[in-house]
Order: sequence, then C-alpha cells, then structure tokens
Amino acid sequence: MKYAYYPGCSQEASAEEYNRSLQAVARRLETVELVEMEDWNCCGATPAATVHPDLPHALAARNLAIAEGMGRAAGAAIDMVAPCAACYKNMNKASHALSDDPELLARVNATLNGHQLGRPPRVRHPLDVVVNDVGVDNVPVDKPLKGLKVASYYGCLITRPEGGFDDPERPQSMDRLMEALGAEAVDWPYKTKCCGGAIYMTTEDVSFTMSADVLAHAKAAGANAVAAGCPFCQLLLDLYQDKLEKIRGTQFNMPIFFFSQLMGLAMGIDRAELGLEKLVVSPNELLAQTIDAPESDEKPKKERAPKPKRWGEA
Amino acid sequence: MSQQKAVRLGAETSAEMKPIAEMVAACYQCGTCSGACPVDAAGGMDYSPRAVMRLIQAGLEDKVLSSQTIWTCASCYHCVVRCPRDIEITDVMTRLRNVALEKGYKARKGKVYNEGFMSIVRFHGRMWEPRLVVQYNLLTNPLNFIGLAPVGIKMFLKHKLRLLPDHPQGRAEIRGIFDRLEGGDE
Repeated sequence: MKYAYYPGCSQEASAEEYNRSLQAVARRLETVELVEMEDWNCCGATPAATVHPDLPHALAARNLAIAEGMGRAAGAAIDMVAPCAACYKNMNKASHALSDDPELLARVNATLNGHQLGRPPRVRHPLDVVVNDVGVDNVPVDKPLKGLKVASYYGCLITRPEGGFDDPERPQSMDRLMEALGAEAVDWPYKTKCCGGAIYMTTEDVSFTMSADVLAHAKAAGANAVAAGCPFCQLLLDLYQDKLEKIRGTQFNMPIFFFSQLMGLAMGIDRAELGLEKLVVSPNELLAQTIDAPESDEKPKKERAPKPKRWGEA
Repeated sequence: MSQQKAVRLGAETSAEMKPIAEMVAACYQCGTCSGACPVDAAGGMDYSPRAVMRLIQAGLEDKVLSSQTIWTCASCYHCVVRCPRDIEITDVMTRLRNVALEKGYKARKGKVYNEGFMSIVRFHGRMWEPRLVVQYNLLTNPLNFIGLAPVGIKMFLKHKLRLLPDHPQGRAEIRGIFDRLEGGDE
C-alpha cells in the first residue's frame, strides 16, 4: 500500500536514525511503500496555536493538501504517515477538525495561496500502519530479539488525544510488536507518561525530572532497553541520559531505540541502515550479550522453585 | 456531550475570558486533572490544573494569566483523556496563553520560545533547531551557552545537528499563511 510520507523537521536532524530505519523497514516489508511528500512544511508543534488559533490548522492544511494531491495523482486517496508524535497529533487533529467543520476549512483555505484542501486525508502513525495494516505476525523475523526486555514507551501524543488507534492509558500495539519480534515486552506503568519534551527548552529542570521518572520506572520494571516512537522522547531519554542519572543518583545504562530500529534488527536488515551508531547510549554491549550472543550448547539448568515460606517465617 | 454547568459564572468575567470560562463551567473540582498531570507532579506548576479551572470559574483573571502553569503545561493531554466532564484542558491552557500575550502579561521565557519557534517556521518553512537554541538563549540567558556546549558537541559528533537550514520551495505560501492570519482580526 502506498502512503504519503511526511518526515517532519526532526527526521532530518536529531532523529535521522528514526527516518533511516523506518525507510529501511518499509523497503523490506514490500506491502508498505512510503513516498516522501514534496515541499512539506513544519506542522507548528505546540507554539503555533499561541500565534493564532487557526495557524496549526492552516500549516497542517497545506501538508494535507499535498498528500491529497498525491492521492489524486495515484487515482485513490492515500493516507499520510507522520513518524514524529507531535507532527502526527497536530496533523491528525487538524484532519479531523477540517473534515468536521466546513467553515474552518474555508477559512483555512483562504490563507493558502497555491494549495487548496478538499477532503483531508487520514493521518497515521507508522506504528499504526505496522500493527493494523501490515499485522505484527506478517513482519518477517530473521533474528529474534532474544533476551531483550523492552519497555515500550508510547509517550503522550501517539495515543492522545483520544480516538486514535490505541488506548490512551494502557496501549498494547508496540508491546505486541515487540513480542512478535521475539523480545519480552515489559509491563510498566509509565508507557504513556509525558517526557516533558515540549517544555524542555523553557523549563529544563522540570522536563528532566519527568524524563528521569520515566527511565526509573522502565528500569524498575526490569527493562534492559526502551523502544520509542517519538523523536522528543528518544532525545530526552538518550541524549540527556547522563543528566537524568545525576538527578536520580543512579546508573540507567539503558539504550533508547526507535521501535523501527528494533524492527530492523529483528528483520535482519543491515545495521548500517538502522543508524544504531547514532544512539548516544550505545546498544553494542547489550546486543552482544543478547541477540548476538552465541547459542550455548549447555542445557539451561532447571531451577528448583523455592519452598513456600511458612507463615511467620522471615 | 451536553455539559451541565457546575457553577454560575461571575459577572466580572471579562470578554476575553468569557469563552474560556464557558469551556470550564462544567468542572466540578474532582482533581483528576491534577492527579494525571506529570508537570505538576514534577513541581513545574504554581497552580495545579484543578486550581486553574477554579480560578477561571471564580473570575480571578489576574492570577490565572500571570500563573506559571499556563506556560509549563506540556500539552500531553493526560488530563483531557481522564476528565469526567470532557473539558478540553489542554486547549484551555493554550487559549489562556493567547489572552496572556494579548494583555501583555509577563511571560518572558514562554513568549520568547513560542515567538522564536514560529518566526523560524515563518522564515524557513521548517524548523531549524540550532537557530532556535541560539536565539532563545541569547534573549533569555546567554550564560546558558556554557552549559549547552557539551550537549552541542555530542550532537555534532553524532551528526544530529542540522548545520544549514532546509527550505521547502513553498516558502512564500507559508509566509502568506502567517501574514493573512496575523493581518486578520484575531
């Protein structure tokens, strides 16, 4: 299936490895064709609405119109795919608002000069595409992610506001994907807690406290890796991990992958295409101990279950 | 969903605050929003979201518009999905920012960040992060550059910095969007 691919600003800079690994995975999946949109513009992130309430819709409308045009050229409407959670939320919200409110659509179209939006296309997150269009069982697994205990970190905007493809409080899609890839999906309570990415330039200390909480919970749940689907979550947990460790006074030593990188690893895609070297917390040691570890001939020793303690026993 | 109002709005609510007060009139102060809020939990708010709702209802405009909370809300929508009264709390915070800016309330950092961000989008059509970081810190606290250096070097070495801005061809159209909206009534 063809999709209009909207990379978003971060995919060409801080989260270039997300873009690269996603494209590599899509090429391998065969059923997914990501066609990059030409001449896309910034979605406006959170600041746009403070300039003018219509600005986020207008910026999104130009992008939606480009995707609509690609569908027209292809002869059938195609969905837009936005990997950045903030872009995804902005464009998805705008797509719904502009479909439901013809007055808003007219008002927004009047601000455009060149593009006109007719029928806003659907906006999808790549995780949604993998889980619901491809199907987790149809992802070819050459190298199961044995030994990886992955905390799936959805962050705030993949599942919120409500009405998306997964539950806003206890989502399961990324967990199901990780299990299908052969990893252990760790159950933890901070799956959809916010990392503070939107406020880290203005109130750094607050966002670092938030991110440190997220990592501490992943660690406490027994995870040895985190999978992210948002460039801001990944940036804060990875690039600033040393600072978060200082705040908490503990070592996390936790590689923060994009979920697409883990897909690529399991699918046996050449690692140079996955941008693993761009991760600040190196995953090399973890991978050497887990999925790259030679199979041992020894049978695992049977562990005896400890005797149940008697009441009153220390 | 039709929301029954939990309070009768005071007559002292100003014209700018009226639509916002309408948005929160159904709030019955259960505090679910504050419990869900990760920013409040991290100590980033002076008034919790619940308190902000109440201040709006009570018409205590000055306290709301000068609060830190409206600028530190991370727009994560956790309160929104949990609110039993279906109040769009995140949108309320955004609207409050708009009114605070309009009325000239001091919001230095938030204002510099938001305006800086959007001026870059207006000019380049896309975000160019290094410019935002430089511009923001020059205008707020240039001493920050000392602390930023290690992160900058780390990002540079990992090729995570975009050294030159990226320009879509449709820059004129994007600027036009800004010009038409800013030239309009609102």
